[in-house]
Amino acid sequence: MNTARPVTPPIAAWRDQLPTLIRVYGIVVTLVLLVAVVGVGNPAFLSGQNIFNMLSQWAPAGIMAVGMTFVILTGGFDLSVASGYSLCAIVAAYVGQSYPPWIAFSAAIIVGLLFGLVNGLLVAVVRINPFITTVGSGFVINGVALVMTKNAAFLVDNPDFGTLGAGRWHGVPYSGMLLILFLLVFGFILARTIYGEAVYSVGGNYEASRLSGIRVRAVVASTYVVLGGCIGLAGSIIASQLSSAQANLDPGIIFDVLTIVVVGGTSLSGGVGAMWRTAVGLGIIATISNGFVLLDISPYYQSIIKGTIIVAALALDGGLTRLVRAK
Amino acid sequence: MVQSPIGSKRVSESTLAIRVRNVSKSFPGVQALRKVSFVLETGEVHGLVGANGAGKSTFIRMLSGASTPDTGDIEVQGLPISFEDPRAQRDNGIAAIYQELTIIPEMSALSNVFLGEVPNRWFIVDRRGMEKRFRELAQWMGVNISPHVKANTLSVANQQMLEIMRAVHAEHDVIIMDEPTAPLGPFERSRLYDLIRRLKENNASIIFISHDLDEVLRLCDRVSVMRDGQLIETRRSAAWTKDTLVKSMLGDVQIVRGRKRERENVKPLLRVHNLSLPGKVTGISFELGEGDVLGIAGLVGAGRTEVLRSIAGLEPLADGRMTIDGQELPWPSSVRDAIRHGIALAPEDRKREGLVLSRSALCNLLLADIGSVSKGPVISAGARRAAAALLARKIGFNPDRLDSDALHLSGGNQQKLVIGKWLYRRPRILLLDEPTRGIDLGAKQEIFQTIRGLSDQGLGVILVSSDLEEVVEHADRVLVMARGKPIATLDSHEASVERILNLIFAVENRPLTAGVN
Repeated sequence: MNTARPVTPPIAAWRDQLPTLIRVYGIVVTLVLLVAVVGVGNPAFLSGQNIFNMLSQWAPAGIMAVGMTFVILTGGFDLSVASGYSLCAIVAAYVGQSYPPWIAFSAAIIVGLLFGLVNGLLVAVVRINPFITTVGSGFVINGVALVMTKNAAFLVDNPDFGTLGAGRWHGVPYSGMLLILFLLVFGFILARTIYGEAVYSVGGNYEASRLSGIRVRAVVASTYVVLGGCIGLAGSIIASQLSSAQANLDPGIIFDVLTIVVVGGTSLSGGVGAMWRTAVGLGIIATISNGFVLLDISPYYQSIIKGTIIVAALALDGGLTRLVRAK
Repeated sequence: MVQSPIGSKRVSESTLAIRVRNVSKSFPGVQALRKVSFVLETGEVHGLVGANGAGKSTFIRMLSGASTPDTGDIEVQGLPISFEDPRAQRDNGIAAIYQELTIIPEMSALSNVFLGEVPNRWFIVDRRGMEKRFRELAQWMGVNISPHVKANTLSVANQQMLEIMRAVHAEHDVIIMDEPTAPLGPFERSRLYDLIRRLKENNASIIFISHDLDEVLRLCDRVSVMRDGQLIETRRSAAWTKDTLVKSMLGDVQIVRGRKRERENVKPLLRVHNLSLPGKVTGISFELGEGDVLGIAGLVGAGRTEVLRSIAGLEPLADGRMTIDGQELPWPSSVRDAIRHGIALAPEDRKREGLVLSRSALCNLLLADIGSVSKGPVISAGARRAAAALLARKIGFNPDRLDSDALHLSGGNQQKLVIGKWLYRRPRILLLDEPTRGIDLGAKQEIFQTIRGLSDQGLGVILVSSDLEEVVEHADRVLVMARGKPIATLDSHEASVERILNLIFAVENRPLTAGVN
């Protein structure tokens, strides 16, 4: 039996491992610091009421971030999220006007899965660059939404419709519970199943995965379908919360979703990342936003601060990655 | 400009091109260089050999100024060198040509030669001057490259020539070549050797790093051996033999020798008849028995890789008859098809096509069969680790290093992963494309030991290697190819490096200075 080659480096002292540790867990420290700052500045931040409100408020973006994690892990990208979000909300509201809520929400999710499938096929099979594909499909989806609504709002009278988005169980919002459920379930899928393993492999090296017999196109396309389903649910939640829906609901939500995933440390180039990171990223973004309100920071400064924290988190991540690689 | 454009930028005169005194360098966790002292005489070709991890790369990074020593000093032509920034380093007069070429693929050959030192008049590029100089350099070096072609259309050998042109143009006294012949076939190697001799005649000093010990002994005036971060010994090459070099490099390592195989009881496993790939390969036929090792020999571009890729289902346009275990099959049209028939490929470019570098060795070992270590869709971490450890031991990979990122492993360990990942699937036929390229002697032997073990178990192995000695030593039969066609199939007792080369050159018959591909 062959043993290791003569030159085996001795175990690195913990001090040498520091850059790697920071790179891996730095964002957790950032989150803890932010929570501390805001919590001290305004103790209401840590109250159950506030936390539940945040969960409810961030459920749509958070659930979409779960799906987006899969897409980004395979090196992909989806800019059609905002349009899809509006369209699914519209479908939910439209169906919800005449049918029971669960049918409305199912319809929205199915629509989400469908345009996710279209995006997935275009990217994985036809091999169009994901940026361009999803910008294009985003326009089309937005167009469909406008045609359906003629740029008016769909209103839903049925009070049961609002249960999903605004309903609570002993104070805990259903939407928040769904968010946590999604994080846990999909996190498990990513970390502990063959599908998750395949996602990481394909994202890490598409060609090597293909040559090793992995169904690379199916894996890539499936991530867009997962995201589509998440968008469907997110659209249902927002429609439920507002009891209405219209086109161009929240064009900026794509930035929130992307920020959540990327600040968490999942790399845009694919193959590196995890669901817990998305969870931490969500925590950071939500804390910052909530912090602005609770600490009474002027809205004019919010953009600057938010942007700075995001750029700093990414720079730190990028810089440390290079440091670790250079050794 | 004079015909031989090598001159010296530096004023001082000294018979010592480089003097290194007591240089040490450590990185977190590892002492890479230990008090290395070294001398390079002006006008000599100095070979540097050592196993991967011996410190050669770190040492030449010191010399080229890419890295700064912790202690010790380095002088070029009697003057100490500066480590400030790449521009200052350029004036040190040392050029390094690495295995990973620093070519910009999308730019022209012309632009690549003048990278960083574009001749200009008042910031406007002097195109005509560049072209004139390019042609001068090309003529002197004996290469035939058009200045305006995009660099990525050139062969690796010609891209290397561009890097050497860059060094020659900049009039560097010292040129360090790190494994320059690894991607080259025998033909391009002769061209390079000629060039090195010509550079030497013009008083350039060259440090030549290679794993090919015969080449080093033939080409170099003196040879130094490095091991464990130290310079062990320097002797004139006449005072070395291959065996003494190996001993000095490693201590003692078991060399795997070829075997004599009785051909009567060999059961046929794979028969390929008339394989063709339009534009690349025609009329390839051979038989592979259980436990056979079939070598495929030929120059770079002869079509060897294409043959393997076709068998592995990677070439949808491939056509031919394939019979496995006596049953004729349609030619595999996809990778998954081939895998189902028990065919496994270890690709030529292990980093790009064989491994997911961002993931651990463990994940890479299980890459080809993710589903097999799980009950249902969920993966059990314990079962994975056990399976990976088992595989690791089979291929001589240290199980303690399973959690290292594949990126940080040596070439030898990476190659073991590429081969090892298929073992889980129990392939019948293993296709190896340049498995020992860029790998040190010790790791090479381990890989051959693995191959020997697998063929003893009845696997059929097809081995493509540019190292003809390796092919002759380890293959039971050799298929010789040239220009996409088969020339001959030799049994191991009739196969020798000279015989194979003669067969190849009888067909190839190219003049020595042909550089265009």
